[in-house]
Formats: sequence, structure tokens, C-alpha cells
Amino acid sequence: MALANTRVILAAVIVIIVIAAGFYMLFFRQQAANVVVIGTTDDVTELDPATSYDFFTWEVLSNVMAGLVTYDQQGNIVPYLAESWESQDGGKVWIFHLRQDAKFPDGTQCDANVVVRSIKRVMTIQGDPSWLVTEFVENVEALDQWTVKFTLKQPTGYFLAVVATPPYYPVHPNYPEDQPAPDATWGGCGPYMIDEFVRDQYLRLKPNPNFFGEEPKNDGVIIRFYEGSEDLRSALEAGEIDVAWRTLNPSDLEDLKNKGYNVKEVPGLFIRYLVLRVSQPPLDDVRVRQALAAAIDRQDIVDRVFRGTMEPLYSMVPSGMWSHYPAFKEKYGEGPNLELARQLLSQAGYNESNKLMVELWYTPEHYGDTEAALAAVIKEQWEATGIISVEIKSSEWGTYVDQLSSGQMMISLLGWYPDYLDPDNFLTPFLLSTANSWTGTGYANPQVDQLLRQAMTSTDMNERAQLYKQVQEILAEEAPFIPLVQGKLFVVTSTEVTSIEVSPLQFLIYSSISK
Amino acid sequence: MSLLRYAVTRALAIVPTVLILYTVVFIVLRVIPGDPVSAALGTRSVPPEELEAIRERLGLNQPLWRQYVDYLLGVLRGDFGESMTLYGRPVARDILERFPATLELTIFGFMVSVVLGVGSGVAAAFRGGLVDRLLRTSSIVAYTLFIPWLGLMLKYVFSIKLGILPTGGRIDPRVDLNVVTGLYVLDSIITANPAALVSAIEHLILPSLTLGIVLSGVYTRLVRIHVAEALRSEVAIAYRARGLRESRIAVHMLRISLIPTITMMGLQFAILLGGAVLTEAAFSWPGLGSLLVERISYRDYSTIQGVTVFFAFMVGMVSLIVDIIYAIVNPRVRY
Repeated sequence: MALANTRVILAAVIVIIVIAAGFYMLFFRQQAANVVVIGTTDDVTELDPATSYDFFTWEVLSNVMAGLVTYDQQGNIVPYLAESWESQDGGKVWIFHLRQDAKFPDGTQCDANVVVRSIKRVMTIQGDPSWLVTEFVENVEALDQWTVKFTLKQPTGYFLAVVATPPYYPVHPNYPEDQPAPDATWGGCGPYMIDEFVRDQYLRLKPNPNFFGEEPKNDGVIIRFYEGSEDLRSALEAGEIDVAWRTLNPSDLEDLKNKGYNVKEVPGLFIRYLVLRVSQPPLDDVRVRQALAAAIDRQDIVDRVFRGTMEPLYSMVPSGMWSHYPAFKEKYGEGPNLELARQLLSQAGYNESNKLMVELWYTPEHYGDTEAALAAVIKEQWEATGIISVEIKSSEWGTYVDQLSSGQMMISLLGWYPDYLDPDNFLTPFLLSTANSWTGTGYANPQVDQLLRQAMTSTDMNERAQLYKQVQEILAEEAPFIPLVQGKLFVVTSTEVTSIEVSPLQFLIYSSISK
Repeated sequence: MSLLRYAVTRALAIVPTVLILYTVVFIVLRVIPGDPVSAALGTRSVPPEELEAIRERLGLNQPLWRQYVDYLLGVLRGDFGESMTLYGRPVARDILERFPATLELTIFGFMVSVVLGVGSGVAAAFRGGLVDRLLRTSSIVAYTLFIPWLGLMLKYVFSIKLGILPTGGRIDPRVDLNVVTGLYVLDSIITANPAALVSAIEHLILPSLTLGIVLSGVYTRLVRIHVAEALRSEVAIAYRARGLRESRIAVHMLRISLIPTITMMGLQFAILLGGAVLTEAAFSWPGLGSLLVERISYRDYSTIQGVTVFFAFMVGMVSLIVDIIYAIVNPRVRY
């Protein structure tokens, strides 16, 4: 009897599941054909521009919100919320005239008061990215409903590039004035509105019905979060996602291309470099640093470690950015220049029997799983001189950054992604003696400090380019940092997906994707 | 000792356990190099004075004893502090959002392990011979399987090759689900949402199977031994002498032999709560385990402490319930 009852219950459960599955297949799976699903191994941290400070959240915010200015595909700053602007007082005062048709998804107007409130909110909350406002802006005010005036602490030549960053995006008035809102879904007045955010699972976006610009080419976007690149690849192959974006392994890219997926390659602004602790022996001898720079073979790194997903880099300013000058190639050649390295080491007192002993540090996971190989290849290249002996060491990210800033690592591998799109952001944080303590390099050069400060305040592009060229030449001469490679970005999509576009800031533009 | 007194005594024993664990985690976090601010900001060029302001806000400039006591007092008030990675986000909120995912995976993984383990244990005991040897061997193999590897294999077959099950996550994001308890299967039943129910079950199958298969090995061997013993017992012989059918005898013997297995299940359930970490990672399952792993790398002290204290409390509670049930079944243990 008991057995019969169990069978009836089991049969009932199976019938219910089958009916539910039928409903699911019939009514659900056919819906939302033009909703694009993007998979990523990144996370959305805080949906509040006052506190978020990571690449992927900034990408989402750039699709949900709109700044005063933006970039066109050529990398020029163009109007967005602001129709026009002017600078006064030698670049100390900036006045923006807003367009009058910008609205939030609920119809609230995005006027000067909203802009001012949003920026003051960032200054009040003092979240991690707030320095992008507080370092530059002394005051922001609304001159009338459609005019915003910024008074800066000092003239800043690249202020428009800073204004293009998320801390300057106006947010909906529902965001509390003096408190962060990490899970906020009111958003901004950009192309999309946030429909649902389930932390660490997915983010669902719908087109903003009141967006002033061109209508998105899809009915919405879903972003799914995955733990690792293997999961991301599996999801793409299983058809769960249409777009795999940040980050697949280099080997996966090759495989997926061979399997017929579309792999779009975009030049990147992400750079990899070595930090040399110049304030301690043996790296306090400039000849030693120069020898290390000369012995690097960047193409070998690209080929063997990154399988063509990066390209050689000969300056801290990435190739493709204005004022880029390949100073290391000019000084040391394409590399490896082993003869020059041996000569410099010999001058510094090192030879086969008295080798230069250096420690090279890397962190195993933060930059993907190629780091150990990268460190091994650099060791091999340096040891090819016959005069250098390299000891490789590693520590996980939390410890690594602590060791870095406290100057405990002789040579360390790092990466950099810009906050704003200007050469200043690739030079000042590294070379300005009052700004580079986080690198632990100990590098300080009054001439470089003076050149950088002059370039910061100048509004003359030609003059700035000239100043930055001088800084890059000194960088190659003194080699406190050795640029290695520059990243490319890859977007892998199913064959149904068309028109992938990536902004100059390397953000995926969701509104251009359709399938 | 009365049952109530016994239960109170056992409950009080949870307090020092949690306190010791909290203290150890607190010390270990401070001993290892790295702090939450620099780990979270990494190589961002935040000015030093801003860094100092962030440290001040997070209370990292306070003396250690003050940090220790403040956090403990907060926990006593039910306040687990704010995340050091996500500005202003209460840790309790993270725990409450993530715990249902871990609990749901634990429940289903537990069910799979019990069904597979008890079923194969009984089969091994009854059939004997080759079946017994095969099941015993497979139970050892199952227990030694590496969860991420098994997860990957299952995903490869059922998701990529056959395309019938999702590779990860808890639910298809295109499905609307009103979250009530956070247990998606239960929520979709409560809200009468068949699409969500199917999707939630689809997403649970592979992680539950992975967890269940690995943990079933323990039950197989335990049940097999006890059922085999019961079958050889005088009671079984008496039943046979009375002419009872073998299937009826089997049901009786299974009931007798399940008592020690139930104790094991209680302990296993508690271990499962914390042990689903690898499964969560293998299936992008947004539970407490993956939260803990993610925040460890960012030295998010408050979240790590909060999750650890919460885990310890939950494991203590499950053990307490098991103890009470056992005390009811076997009153001698109270003394």
C-alpha cells in the first residue's frame, strides 16, 4: 500500500514537472528574441557613480547614464548631455550648456540642478573615485536651469577628459544626497534603464523610453556573471549567452575562432609593465635598470605568453594615444639588445662570475592565469645575458599590493588601466614624485615633476605633447618602469550577433548590438 | 537531566565555539599582509590623503582591541558591520542574500547524496557479490572525485554536448521571479510560477548531482554495513522464520539500520553548508562559499568575519538539532 502511494506521488511529481516544462518551452523560451545576453567574468560592484571604481561597473554606468561629454569613435570629445561648453580664465572655469530634452526613464528632467546635485553628492560621500572630482573641482553651480559652471582649483588642460568619467554622470534625484546606494536601480538618463539587478547573478537592462539619442538596436540587454573564463566559454558554447566579453583565455579565443564564433579584436589601453625599486641596490644604479630594459624581448612575450592577444609596448603611454612616443625602442631598439645589456652590466661591475642577482615578483591570479609564464619568460630573457640571475617570487593580490606600496619587492609585474583618457593618466601616477608612492618605486626627479605639472595646467595641446615627449625620453633613460606589452580586447559572439562596437574608453556599447 | 536543560547546555556550548572561531579569524586576517583598502583599490592612483580618509571611515585606524570588541558587540546586536569592499553595504544583507543559495544547493545536494548513498548501500547489502563489490568501489571513487573536475565533466556532457541543462547560475535571467524566501524552487511554487520552477530546477540539477555524487560515497558504505548487520541479526532470522517476504524484511531492517545513518546525515548536512564552496565555484553559484572566497582576496575583514561567524553559528545550530533529536531517540545520551 505504502509502495503504491509512493508511486502515485512520484507519478504526480513527474506530470507536474513535465507540464511546467511545457509551459516554460511554449510561453517563455520564444520570448525576447532581440534581447542580447552578455556574459562576463567581471562583477558589477556598486551601481552608484559616487562609489564605484572598477572597469566593468563603469561600463554599465556608461550605458545606463549619460555624462556631459563623451567620445566619438575616433576618440574625440563630443557633446552629450552638454550641447556646448567654453573655458574661461585660462582653463580654470568651465561652463557647460545642457540640452533640454534629456530625461530619466520616469520622465524627470535632467537639468543643471540635477547635474550639480550629483557632482556635489560625489564630493560629500567621498567614495573611492571621488578624487576625480575633488582633486580638480573647487566649486560647481547652476547658473540657470540649463547651464552648469565649474570652478577648478587650478587650470586643467584635460578637464574634459575627466568630466567624461562616471563620477560626473548625473544620477536620478532618488539617489540619497549624502549616502551611497550600491544597489540603486534608478539610474541616469542614458540609453538604458535598470530593470532588475540580482547581485552576482545578472543585471537586466531595458531601453530608456525617454533617451534623447538614437534608439538601441535591441529590446534589452542581460548581463550574466560567471566565476571564471572556463565558465564563460562553456556558457557561450551552450548557447546561454550571445556575447562573451571580458575575459576569455588566449587559448580559448583561438579555439572559438576555429569553431566558427565571431572574434572581434579591438585595440586596448590596458598596459603591462615592470616596476623597479630604484631607491635600493642594485637597482639604484641606472646602468642596471637600463640593462634590464635592454634585455627584454617584447615580441617573444607576445608570442609565447599572450599568443598574440597583446602587442609590444615601448612607452607607458599606450600606442594610439596622442603624444605616445616609443622611447624605449628609440633608446634600446626593438629588443632584445643583449650586447648593450652586457656592456651596461659590465660597466656596473657585474660579470659571469659576479652576477647581478634580482628578484622578480608576480601575483598569480589578478591578471589572469598567464602571470607565472610571463615571469618565467622574463627570467629566461634576462638570464640569456649570462650575467643576470633571477629569482621568481609570488604572492596573492591582497599581499602583493601591500608589499608593493611598502617597497618590499625589488621588481614587480603590474598592469594599468586608465581612469581618464589622457596621457597624464599614464605618466603622472607613476612619475610624479608626490603621486607615485603606491608603486613603491621610490623614483623622484624634480625635472620630471616640473614637466608633468606644466603639462597638467597647459591647455595648449602641442605644448603638452612636447612636454610628454620629454617625460617619456627621461623615462626610457632612467627606467624606473619598463613597459612591456599593451592589451587588445576581444569580443566573442555567436554568429547571430551583429555590430559590436567598443568605445575609445574600451566600454562595450550595448545599444549597437543586435541579433 | 531534563531534555530542556540538556538542550540549553548544548546551546550554550555554541557560544565559545563561535567566539574562538571569530578570534582566530580576526587574528589571522590581521597577521597576514595586506589591508582591505589597498587590496580593493589595487593599482588605482588614489591620492594618499584619500586613502587615509577611507581607512579612517572603515575604522582601520582604530587599535586592534577596539576593532575586535566593536565588531563583537555589533554581532551581539545582530549588526555584522559594513562591507569593506562595497561602500556602505551591510554584511548582513550579503549573508541574507547569499545564504538561501547555499541552503538550497545544500538541501538538493543532500537529497541526491542520500538517495544515491542509501539506495546503493541497501543494494550492495542485499545483492552482495559482484554488485556489492562494484558499489563499494564506486563509492570510494565517488568520494575521491574532485568536485570542479566532476562539475566540468557534467557541464561538458549535459550543457555543451547535449544542450539540455544550463552551465551555471541559479535561474534564467529572462524569467521573472518574486523572491519570498530566497529559495528559488520554493518561491516559484509559492508564487505559482511554473517557468521559474522549471528554470530553478534546471539550474539545480548539475550542481546538486556534483555535490550529491561525491558525498554519497559515505552513505553507501555506512548503510551497507548497518543493513548487512541487520540482515544477519536475530530479528531478521525471526522474521524469516515467520515466513515474511524478503521485501518486507528489507523495509524493517532498513528502518533499524537507518538510525546511525540519520546521525551521520545531520553531521553531513552541517558540513555541507560550508563544504559547497567548490561546487559553487564550479557552477557560478552565488552562495556564501563563493562570497567568502571572493572577499578573502580583497581582505574584506568585516565580510569574512561575518560569514565565518554565521557559518559557525549555523553549523552549531544544526549540530544542536541533531543532538536534540538523538537525545529524544536515545535518552541515555543526556547524562
